[in-house]
Amino acid sequence: MKRGGVTTARSWKRSLASGAAMALAMAPQLRAAPLEAAAESYRHYLIDDLGQALAGARLLRERLAAHDAAGARSAWVAARVGWERSEVFTSGFVPELDQRIDAWPDASHGFHGIEASLFGVSRTDTGAETDALIADLAELNAQLAHVDLAPQRLLNGIARLAFELGGNKADGGESRLSGTSLKDMQSNADGIALAYRVIFADAVAAADPKLAAGAQSAIERLQADVKIADLRNLEADRLRTDSEELVALLQMAAPRIALDRPTLEEGSR
Amino acid sequence: MTRSAKRFSQGWRRGVGAAVGLSLLLAMPWDAASFPIDGDQTVLPAGSELNEDAVYVPHEILRSEYRGDRISYMVALGDLAFNSPSILGDVARRAGMSCGTCHVGGANNAKLFIPGLSSHPGTFDTTGALFNPKADNHVLDPVRIPSLRGARVLAPYGHDGRIASLRDFVRNVIVGEFAGPEPSPALLDAVTAYVQEIDFLPNPRLGARGRLNDTATEAERRGELLFAKPFPHDPTLSCAGCHRPAGAFVDHLQHDIGSGGLYKTPTLLNANFNAPYFHDGRYESYDQVVDHFDRVYALGLSEQDRGDLVTYLRAIGDARQPYDSDGVVFRFKDIETFSLLLTQAIAAHDRAAIDLAVDTLGGELRDLAEQFPDHRDAAVTGALVERRMARAAAKDVVISLRRIAMATTADDFDAAAAEYKTFYALIFTKAMPLMRGTEPWSLFNPAVRTARDVQRRGLLRLPEPAQVQR
Repeated sequence: MKRGGVTTARSWKRSLASGAAMALAMAPQLRAAPLEAAAESYRHYLIDDLGQALAGARLLRERLAAHDAAGARSAWVAARVGWERSEVFTSGFVPELDQRIDAWPDASHGFHGIEASLFGVSRTDTGAETDALIADLAELNAQLAHVDLAPQRLLNGIARLAFELGGNKADGGESRLSGTSLKDMQSNADGIALAYRVIFADAVAAADPKLAAGAQSAIERLQADVKIADLRNLEADRLRTDSEELVALLQMAAPRIALDRPTLEEGSR
Repeated sequence: MTRSAKRFSQGWRRGVGAAVGLSLLLAMPWDAASFPIDGDQTVLPAGSELNEDAVYVPHEILRSEYRGDRISYMVALGDLAFNSPSILGDVARRAGMSCGTCHVGGANNAKLFIPGLSSHPGTFDTTGALFNPKADNHVLDPVRIPSLRGARVLAPYGHDGRIASLRDFVRNVIVGEFAGPEPSPALLDAVTAYVQEIDFLPNPRLGARGRLNDTATEAERRGELLFAKPFPHDPTLSCAGCHRPAGAFVDHLQHDIGSGGLYKTPTLLNANFNAPYFHDGRYESYDQVVDHFDRVYALGLSEQDRGDLVTYLRAIGDARQPYDSDGVVFRFKDIETFSLLLTQAIAAHDRAAIDLAVDTLGGELRDLAEQFPDHRDAAVTGALVERRMARAAAKDVVISLRRIAMATTADDFDAAAAEYKTFYALIFTKAMPLMRGTEPWSLFNPAVRTARDVQRRGLLRLPEPAQVQR
């Protein structure tokens, strides 16, 4: 994707410019290859997960056409899993599609717009919105084959999602109409664990085993925090602490694997 | 300050929660009772209103501000704990409720309403089952949430005045009413010290000994005389006999005024902002209060007498600048206080205070970040890059705070002190200016919030708010 390529080139230039010494400037070149290979191996997980989201959206469309509200609701829920697991990627790499697909909280389009109709007022007349969702998810899936999976941006995505996950409360959450907020959170935590394991775990372990153990443990705690039966049982304080500790550890790990400190907001630096 | 912890979600709840019940019950082909908008997966019952989305918030003055002093370490710590859900029990913590949720800025919360625990907005049953099942008396007997302004001179405590000491009362609220863990003596001292600092707001209408000054109108003067006049059927009684003007309009005693038991005399200072009135919040206006006394004590007040008394009550209950508008500047007042406390706590190796400060400041910064919506929020347009920068800066502050906590846990107070410098630079030289500059595109701007509400109502096909008001 053009956008991704441009930004990567820019951050590359920036790390050259900002490197205090030549040695630092050289480091990314030496280290980049294995990380990029690891990021490459993350691609097929993304293709699987977002493919599942697309399939779910198509089933949703079919159920809506059949005026089967219950079937449509379960298709909606199923489509969310792969989507939420890919959030490490989507919000930073494809923000326009992200906005169209997952606008929140007041959108009339995308997943939550359909959610409001389907779950909020139990209507099956969101065929047009679902067609648009399918088109957007299809476009996203088409991009996945060639999008540049820059490790820096994936690390940013992990850190940002980890931070966001820590802001969840036992109060209904993102998908409160469908009642699947907890599922969203579990998928988010799994997505973080997956991307970190596939892309960064080995590199961090090679550079700093202690830091690697700390990050791994923080990720596991994060997954455990949301592995609960009912959102009301969420220990929001603990979740927040674990999320912030993970982000702090990722920030410490970044220079050890020759990356910039992850930003917590795409396009803010 | 932590009024904000759940601000956004409460906003959502306010926007749709109250309305949904009415509008959807009519239209829904499936089980309306299971509608999960805010009741299915939340700690608080459906329809709860904490009013955390208010644009105007009670102005707070601490005694030290009158003196021109800095707030002491102890008072700042008490302020912090007062606004931290972590000192209360499980349910309150999960709901993000702290002392400050009910006593916003040390005052009351006239709009707070929790179904099953409130009879009117601004009331709360402190012996209900939700927050502490062990305190449940199996009767719905909510009391109005009192303002704490001037509490230090308003003993005894509780509407029935059953507890003589403020410190004991504070402990009872934390442990008895909200099932919090037994607070350490130091923490209890701190919260008590803070509550003792919450002062009455200055009233430009009052002179010495609670008398109206020369700004008084004729009607107010007549009201003042009536207020002091003996009751016709019992000349030992008068309004001023219990509400002593020279003594903050209280007598520190309990009386039966025909409201169902013995209740202590409430202050009338700043009372314009303390509605609803009476221990159970049964009256919304001074007119109703005056009618009550007229009826119970057969005062035989004329129409003009009533008007004069109400006018007088309004004058003595007034305040200069009763409210602040919520926004970046307002939020940073507390942030400055708590940041100063944090650096002192690090120097003193006071772990409990460091943890509280990190939790509360971090929660506040997380909430501030959410006031600047990102690209997913279709209702907000303009200045997206700036909004993201403000968000990013706020989030960086949160992580810097977490590093302070991590260093503290690792017993490395030097590292904590070093990280504090990063935190300080991030929050005051980076985050604050970015937020100030982007405030017009944030949810602090009422127009932005209105646009979002309109979109939300359209989305859920809700009626206009005028049709669904309680």
